[in-house]
Amino acid sequence: MVAREKLNLLKGKFGAAVQRADMPCDERLFVFVEASALKAVCQYLFRDLDARYVISIGMDDRPFSGHFLVAHDFAFDREHLLCSVLTHVPADNPKVDSITDVVPAANWAEREIYDLIGIEPVGHRYLKRLVLPDGWPDGVHPLRKDFAWNQVPEGFDDTKEFKFDEPPEGCTVVPFGPFHPTLDEPTHFRLYIEGEMVRGCEYRGFMVHRGIEKLAESVLTYNEIPMMAERICGICGCVHNVAYAQAVESAAAIKPPPRAEYIRTIMLEIERLHSHLLWVGLACHIVGFDTMFMQSWRIREPIMWIAEKISGNRKTYALCVIGGVRWDITPEVKDELRGVLDKLEAEWRPVVAAVSKDKNIQKRTRGVGVADRNLVKNAGLVGPVARASGADIDCRRDHPYAAYDRLDFKVIVESGCDVWSRVLVRANEVFESIKIIRQCLEKMEDGPLHLSLKDELPVGRFGLSSVEAPRGESHHFVITGENNRPRRWRVRAPTYQNLQGIPAMIKDQQFADMTISLGSIDPCFSCTDRLETIDLRSGVAKVWTQEELIKLTRAKKA
Amino acid sequence: MHRNIIWMILIGLANVVIVLLVAPFFQGVLRKITALIQSRQGPPVWQPYFDLLKLLGKEDIESGESPLMQRFAVYLSLATVLTIACLVPMGCAAPMNAVGDVILLIYLLTLCGICTLLAGLAAGSTYSLLGISREMMTMIALEPLFAIALVVGAVHTHSFRLDTVLNGSVYASAAFPWSGVIMLAVMLLSFQAFVQRVPFDISEAETELMEGPLMEYSGPKLALFKYAQMAKLVIYSALFVTLFVPWGSSLVFPLGWLVFWAKVTGLVLFVTLVAATHARYRIDQAIRYFAGLLVLALVALVLASYGY
Amino acid sequence: MSVLSKLKETLVCLKAGRVTLPYPAQARPVPEKFRGRPVFDVAKCTGCGGCANNCPAREILLFDLCQEIRILQYLGRRCTYCGRCADVCPEKAITMSHEFETGTNSIGDIQQRLELFMSTCQRCGRCFKEPSALEQLKLKGYRLDDVAHERWVFRSKSYLDTEPVVDDIKIEMD
Repeated sequence: MVAREKLNLLKGKFGAAVQRADMPCDERLFVFVEASALKAVCQYLFRDLDARYVISIGMDDRPFSGHFLVAHDFAFDREHLLCSVLTHVPADNPKVDSITDVVPAANWAEREIYDLIGIEPVGHRYLKRLVLPDGWPDGVHPLRKDFAWNQVPEGFDDTKEFKFDEPPEGCTVVPFGPFHPTLDEPTHFRLYIEGEMVRGCEYRGFMVHRGIEKLAESVLTYNEIPMMAERICGICGCVHNVAYAQAVESAAAIKPPPRAEYIRTIMLEIERLHSHLLWVGLACHIVGFDTMFMQSWRIREPIMWIAEKISGNRKTYALCVIGGVRWDITPEVKDELRGVLDKLEAEWRPVVAAVSKDKNIQKRTRGVGVADRNLVKNAGLVGPVARASGADIDCRRDHPYAAYDRLDFKVIVESGCDVWSRVLVRANEVFESIKIIRQCLEKMEDGPLHLSLKDELPVGRFGLSSVEAPRGESHHFVITGENNRPRRWRVRAPTYQNLQGIPAMIKDQQFADMTISLGSIDPCFSCTDRLETIDLRSGVAKVWTQEELIKLTRAKKA
Repeated sequence: MHRNIIWMILIGLANVVIVLLVAPFFQGVLRKITALIQSRQGPPVWQPYFDLLKLLGKEDIESGESPLMQRFAVYLSLATVLTIACLVPMGCAAPMNAVGDVILLIYLLTLCGICTLLAGLAAGSTYSLLGISREMMTMIALEPLFAIALVVGAVHTHSFRLDTVLNGSVYASAAFPWSGVIMLAVMLLSFQAFVQRVPFDISEAETELMEGPLMEYSGPKLALFKYAQMAKLVIYSALFVTLFVPWGSSLVFPLGWLVFWAKVTGLVLFVTLVAATHARYRIDQAIRYFAGLLVLALVALVLASYGY
Repeated sequence: MSVLSKLKETLVCLKAGRVTLPYPAQARPVPEKFRGRPVFDVAKCTGCGGCANNCPAREILLFDLCQEIRILQYLGRRCTYCGRCADVCPEKAITMSHEFETGTNSIGDIQQRLELFMSTCQRCGRCFKEPSALEQLKLKGYRLDDVAHERWVFRSKSYLDTEPVVDDIKIEMD
């Protein structure tokens, strides 16, 4: 009913601009609108109906419908609805109205559409290169269907450099990354520092592109993609694995057997446990408290062992196929898992109790990295970052998937808006995850692990899936296609949105707090960057001698 | 006369050699105990010796703004620390107390800190400059604390001679030594900053500043800097012990000597425990903390001048 | 008070004792289901090509040397140890071993090359009339792997329309 209700509201307000609507079930709504009404529809949804912005997606649909396709995804968390507003963009004039002035959170997504598909968001105030490397030739857009996955573009310019903005008055420029001990992955924040205070920053990232979405469209098949999806991230791989499988299942109207759903839930919560414990350790390491880092990782280790016992690997569980899962949880493993959870809870409770009274850590984390409710709404922040600022959003409860609709758990919300609140949220979510796994072990039904799919999946269907990763909402958008592979697969990791909130979080804070503020969103740059990389052998071969390389590394760059 | 001078120089050199031999060992003890607290095996106690040997064997690269100052800073750093070693009594009388007095000691200690500033300036990169600005702020707040401790001792004993001041002189007042007790508390609370350990190793915060002033150092120069830091731990512990924990050191040799080194080991253990259980403070929080301690130290000085 | 919480934290640490192992002197045993390097059993393999078709990293190549000999080569460079090959093998010829210490400076240590003797029909002497799964793919023009350059060569149907792939082998179908 909810989908029908929203559709009626849209039809009432926009009339004939609403061309077509698909409602595959009550929790999903796909609305096709005219390109001229796109901005107004998005504004209506975001501001008047108070939806949450999720992602914008571009697609080269020319081989199939003759147009480009642009989609803006929104979420109605209270009403359990995921909605996608789509429009066709003519192939000879690939321009679409930018929605960034009304939905500030769409900033990066539209720049990415411009970089990779070539659809220009008209009215975007900051249309700089986001994803492609600096020397990439203009006018070549990798995600278009006429660009092969292993094609090397002509005219790659090795010497071209990214043009950064001017720093504000009186500030020095401090480069943070790509090499920095705190960062596990390369990224570049160009900080403008005055004394010890940060006055602004500019982000140039996407250095860990790997061409995942292009490979999925061109080379891999439906059942091979989960193996690659879980390698998008170094910590939360299972989430992408499950989210992709669910998106395809939602598109093809497949329901996996109940045992598979419970097993997916258990593995997802195991992953949440290990990710949160890892993060608490990492946050302590960033503030210099190495002992707590060692201890939380010691407490976390049995989870890795039990995951290895169930799935064969500590982190890349290789769990899902379309229609089910591959690994079973036998009764012995059940008992062992229960033992691990009991021990974990017994060890983690005193640690949380000790840390909550610890003034030393609180001094470094209270009032730092503040993200207020406005920022949460405008930048579309998700996950523990949003929950620590009082926003009560959690995909497990708002858009139930796998077995979460049959389980009972609490969503931890704090109102401090700072790093300390995020520490508390993550530390307490550990206990909720333990509760969820215990319920799953009780309620798990017997049955097959996966369906045996005899027919090919239907073509051209849309599927959406939002899964609560440890870092926030991970959203996958799939259009099924021919040759046993999807036509388009878009992955939106939670860090994609959370990073857009970082400049506001570190402004007017001390430089020493930069790392812990960045660490508090639990950044996973590999998740964010998953797009295009092609072998950049540009045809210009320069052989650097060792002396030249050494001189290059030692020379001072202005 | 000549025999006296030769004897003095020999004992001074003996002090230097002892410090050089023993400093990496204390560092190793510190690392091993930190590892034990962190539930892991940890490196063997002799590891710092191997580290220094390894670094000394590497290629000597000079980089940064000013390679000349880079060399100068590191030689000066180790030389200063070893000079202080000649002045500090380590279980026996101060070897060179005829040559210098407490004022010289205060200046040499400050010179140690200045060497880090020179090192950061020599590198000239953004992170090292940030590091030395933090180091400067810390030094301004910190050096007076130690100076006041020495001056309190001098006020009590009415002399600036090293062997009188560095002999538990802070307690040498007529009535109950209030100033001595206050200075003991102040020094204990700020000792971590002198030896550059958590929670006060702000200028070299690895996770924030990529080692700050020492960023451009590698190979043999880094070995000398690390050596200077290890020696600083021993020197400061020895100074603290002679100033504030003098009991037992006046026993006859070798008993007094052993007691002295036992006390130094105890202090190193204290440093380790505090370092392993605390997070690093931010520079403004640290400065506020030191300012509070400075006020207490001044109160102690006033009390000392009134004979308490 | 902060001191109290620090003491509590220290107690937590000391109660745990030492938990790290001096690897590689002492290693932790891996569980039963651990997915290490896949091992191919030449006795059981029938050369169906299911593993090659389902490998996400395209690290298994198949090539026919002549009518009777089929080469199956596991390259092992980008293998992700996902275990799909072991899942789909109808003869259970692939096991995911417990080896994970596969660092070497010679790729030959990891690669496996199976030479499979394909039998011919006893009556007519030709290879089986009913094309196998791989033969079907070859007919559709999907696979003709380049073992010499270690490349998995995928050709789509549209490619087949422009250029014939299978040039001189004619497979008779009744």
